[in-house]
This record gives sequence, structure tokens and C-alpha cells, in this order.
Amino acid sequence: MSGLATAALNSLDIGLLLFVIAVGLNIVFGVLNIINFAHGALYMLGAYLAFTLIGLLGLPFWVALIVAPLGVAVLAVVIDRVLLRFIYGREITDSLLLTFALLLIINESTRLIWGSGIHVIDPPALLAGTLTLPGGLRYPIYNLFVIGVGLALLAGLWLLFNRSRIGRIMRAASLDGEMAATLGINTRAVVTGAFALGAWLAAVGGVVAAPMRAIDPGMGDKIIIESFIVVVIGGLGSFPGALIGALVLGVIHGFGGRYLPEINLILPFIGMALVLLVKPHGLMGQKTG
Amino acid sequence: MAHQRFRRTACVAATVFGLAVTGMAQAAEDPITLGATYIRSGSAAGYGQFAEEGMQLAVDEINDTGGVMGRPLAYKIEDSQGNAGTAIQALRKLVYQERVDALMGLDSSGVAQGVVATVPRLKKPLIVTHAATPDVTGAMCNPYVYRISVNIQQNMAGAAQIAAESGAKRWTTIGPDYAFGRQSWDLFGAALKKANPEVTLLDKTAFPRFGAEEFTPFINAVMAAKPDGVLISLWGGDLVNFVRQATDLGFFEQDMTVMFTVGAATEVLTALGDQMPEDVWLGTRYWFDAYDNPMNERFVSAYAKRYDKPPSYNAEGAYAAVHAYKTAIEKAGSTDGTAIAKALSGLSVATPMGDVVFREGDHQTLVGPTWGRSGVMDTRFDIRSLTDIHVFDGADVTPPVSKTGCSL
Repeated sequence: MSGLATAALNSLDIGLLLFVIAVGLNIVFGVLNIINFAHGALYMLGAYLAFTLIGLLGLPFWVALIVAPLGVAVLAVVIDRVLLRFIYGREITDSLLLTFALLLIINESTRLIWGSGIHVIDPPALLAGTLTLPGGLRYPIYNLFVIGVGLALLAGLWLLFNRSRIGRIMRAASLDGEMAATLGINTRAVVTGAFALGAWLAAVGGVVAAPMRAIDPGMGDKIIIESFIVVVIGGLGSFPGALIGALVLGVIHGFGGRYLPEINLILPFIGMALVLLVKPHGLMGQKTG
Repeated sequence: MAHQRFRRTACVAATVFGLAVTGMAQAAEDPITLGATYIRSGSAAGYGQFAEEGMQLAVDEINDTGGVMGRPLAYKIEDSQGNAGTAIQALRKLVYQERVDALMGLDSSGVAQGVVATVPRLKKPLIVTHAATPDVTGAMCNPYVYRISVNIQQNMAGAAQIAAESGAKRWTTIGPDYAFGRQSWDLFGAALKKANPEVTLLDKTAFPRFGAEEFTPFINAVMAAKPDGVLISLWGGDLVNFVRQATDLGFFEQDMTVMFTVGAATEVLTALGDQMPEDVWLGTRYWFDAYDNPMNERFVSAYAKRYDKPPSYNAEGAYAAVHAYKTAIEKAGSTDGTAIAKALSGLSVATPMGDVVFREGDHQTLVGPTWGRSGVMDTRFDIRSLTDIHVFDGADVTPPVSKTGCSL
């Protein structure tokens, strides 16, 4: 029984962290019509900035949680203005090429700046150690914190898109950018803002992951594959799709690793194949032209 | 018009002459070049970095003492990306474009299994310095491929001795889901069964994807099986992730014998610092503190001085391979690939691990692993020290050629 409960909690913390990262990928696709290959690299930058702030400069985790994602968001604005704006209207394959180049540039720059070694940072003292839950279940406090962050961002994003003017403008710009511009909406700022928001989410994911994952120059590549699986399962460009896809993949990892360790390697791909057979556009995806 | 033509002719003449002069200058000190492929990007990029440092140190040492047959030694490194296809391309580029004289490298068993069979076509010898699958000097062995580093079979023979002495009876494993993890468990199980037929090898094993990041479900599964010994063959960033997550789950507080097959990798120990628990068994192909000979002393102090860290096993493997090539090329008296390959067979080479011999029958050096228990922090390098160190003799842990599956 406690095995099942642990696997469920585990699925939730893996899934919600994946949600935070993959939803950024989906927002960028929804508003900019760009599949951002460099999304994982931005996640990695978040983690490395956190390592610099916490491990090298000795600042508290909470400062890094605020500062590092903002830094990455600022970088995203620069990337958008310098590179992405030239391919807004183009074929989606152009965005794949450009953001893939960006991924290589960020990966190599990271290696040049921080070296090729592995780094670790500790969770803040408040979140270190384990908690004994009712029923004698032992669970790391930090992983519960990750679940909390995931739920908070889920609520925040839902409010942003459904209850705020900015969110409505973003949705309008993603549905029909030309019409939105005709109506006097500054779509350029909305588009840049959406890219910065996507990057911010990736970097938040990176900072949150940093105290429990090895920080190394390949961490971005690992997460981008996972994020694409989430997006394929959930549906490209869909906000609820990112949540459902992430939770499905979380369950696959959480229960698969626990109860089917022999075939865990292929489980995510079986899940992906099954979804594609039944719903070719993902569980929440819509047919697009 | 004529004036212009004269000027052009003069230019051409000057250029040709200039080229000829540079050409001659090059011929006089034409370096012998070693080509290497290691992982230089991604999560395991640190392994390539250590290897390059080992090569650099050996090449500089050799050049400071007169080079090889009076010629300077140089090296070129290409990224394998931990991918067999990329590694094959890298080796072809090194041989056909960069015109290197001999090859070395390979970080992963998966890469080695793809690469080894393609080497004879290049007509250059390849010394494997890290990849540990027994196939390299077993089923896939060939006249051009040698290995200077400890292979899985040798490491697991040592591990099984320690496991047998530990008294733990019920064993399971957590390892990466490819050749390395699977073969480590198979060879460990076979050797342990032989040492002590009473042990039980559990069916509940865990092989997470290489680079999985999230090991908690696997750790829980293994803990639920209640083993009293666990063999862990995760390496690099996976191992760092595993140790941190396992600590959170109380894995190290269980009454179990825990053995990390490549846990005493200095890159992992450096990353973890005091987060590596005390009193677990850590294995390695080479431990800088375990060999008492002048070459090791010189290597460790020069390495620490230049790079401000202790040499890892990958650094030692690369360093030793460069020295092996110097010895082999001088024995062959030639830089012809086939001649160097022949010279390596049966050759004895001085390395930081002592004098090692490339066995004629399968081209594996007779080397043994080092195992020790993690102890107090080594304040010099800020990593865990090893106590209760066992340095296994290569002759004791290497199976006879007839058992390797190699026929040369």
C-alpha cells in the first residue's frame, strides 16, 4: 500500500515538474507558431544560474528562484528581438533549424563558461530531509515542494489565461494575430512577452530541478526529449494538454520504474504510440491546418 | 602589360618558394600524431575532458624528453558524443583527413560495441582507454584493437571477491539499461555464484534508462525487494543523481552492503563531496592513491599541479595509452599503422598502475580494479577518501584467453 502511495506521489512530482517545463514549450508554440528546440537549453541555463548564485556566490535558494528565471527571460527577449522575429511568418521547419542552432550555441557556451564537470546544489535548509507522512510514508520534503510549485504555477497560468486581460490578448494573438493587430493590440509586445514567459517557465523548472538533479552540460538535452513526449501525448499548443501529457508521463515514470523496471525504457514510447494511434493530435490537441 | 605579367610571375614564384620552404621546415619536425575520440559534449563531457588532460600531460612529458624517435608527438581529439555512429565518423576523419598515425579513446561500452569491428579497415591501431565491455577483447577482438584499461570482467571478478567476503546473501542491482549495466550484473552474478554458491541473485533488478534523472521509483522497487547486497553500476551524472535521491529515501541507512562499480570516479566524488555516504564500497579502474611507484607519483603530482584536481581513471587511461604508443612506435621503428599494431601485441608498458602487458591472445592488459570503502573527506581534493583499499592483481581477475571468446 505504501508502495503505491509513494509511486503516486512520485508520479505527481515528476509530472508537475515536467508540466512547468512543457507548458512553456506549448505557450511559445501557441503564440509564436515556433517549436523551440532550445527550450531545454533555457531550462539548463536556469539551473546553471542557480548554481552560480547559490553554489558560487552563496546567495539563498529563494533569491535564485526569483533572479535566475528573470535573467533567462531577459535573455529570451534578446533572442526574440535579434533572431526569432525574422522567422515569425515562416514555415515551422525554419523555426526548428534556428532554435536547434540556438540549442547548440547555448550548450557549447554553457560548457565554455561553467566547464564540463558535474555540479550539485543543496535544497534550502527549510526543505532538506524527509517528512514522515500519515501511514508511516517517508517522502523527501523537497519533492513535496516541487509538487507545490507545480500546483501554484498551474493555478497562476490558468488565472493568467482565463481571468486576465494580458492572457486574453495572448490567446487572441495566438488565434488570429492579424485580426488582433487590426484591433489595435500591440501583438509584437505580446509575442515577445509570450516567448519570455515560456523561457521563464523553463528556467523556473531548471532552478527547481537543480537541488535534486545533477547539473551538467547535457541536462537540457535530456529534458527537451521528455518535454516533446509530453507535448505529443497531450497535444501541441494546448494548455490542458501540457498538464495531462505531463501527468501521464509522470505516471509512466513513477509506476513504470517502480513496478515494471524491466521494460521502463520503452514505456514512454509505448504511451506515445498508443495516444497517436487513438488521437493523432494528442489527447487535447486540435487539428490545425 | 609585360610589366604586369612579370609581377604575376614573381608573385607565383615567391608563393611556390615560400610553400616549399615551409614544407621543408615541416618535414624536419613532422610530428607523430595520435587521434582520439572521447565524449566532449553533453552530460558525460567531463570524461572527455579528463582524457584530454591525461593525453596533454603525457604528450608534453614525452616532447620535453626528446619526443618519439626524435620526432615531436601531437594529438587531435574529436567528439564521439557518446554515440557509436559519431565515433566511427570521428575515427575516419582522424585517419583520412587529419592523417593521424594511431588511434585511442572510447568512453562507453555502447560506443565500443559499434566501433571495434570497423577499426581494421582503417589500418590503424586503436587503444581503448575507458570503454569496459568484455566484447572489445572478447567476441569482437581483432588485430588492431587493444585495451589498456580495466574491463567489466576484471572489475566484477574483484567485486565478487569483496561481495563474497561481505557475507551478504541476497543480491540485486541498479544499473544503466545498456551493455554496461547488463554485463556488469551478469558477470558479477556469475563470479559471485562461483565464489559462494549459497548466494541468491534476485529477479527484482532495476535498469533505468541511461540519463534517466529520476531514480526514486527504481530505488523504492529495490528497497522493497529487501536485498542485503546491491551492486550499482550507474556512472557519471546518473550516479550523482542516484546518490542524492537514494540518500533522501534512506537507502544508505538500510542494513545492506552497497557496492558502486565505478563509484570512485573522481568526477563523481568531486561533484558529490561529502554527500557521498561513508562506508559504501567504491570501485574504480584506477585510484590515484593506490599505487606506490615513481611513475604514479610523478603522474599524480604533475596532474594535480597542472589541473588542480586528482587524476581520474579516464585521465590515467589516456595518459598510459600515449606512453604505450611511444613504446610501441619505438619498438616497431616505424609509424606504419599495421606495424604499430603488431608491436603492441605482448608489449610491456610502464604506466602509473605499474608495468602492464598487452596479452597476445586477446590484446587485453592484465590489470585489476581498485576497490575501497568510502572514508573521511580527503581535505587536499575535497573528495571522499578510500579506506580498506584492495588493489586486485590483473593476473588474478583476468580469465584465460580461452574463456574470453576471442580468437586472433
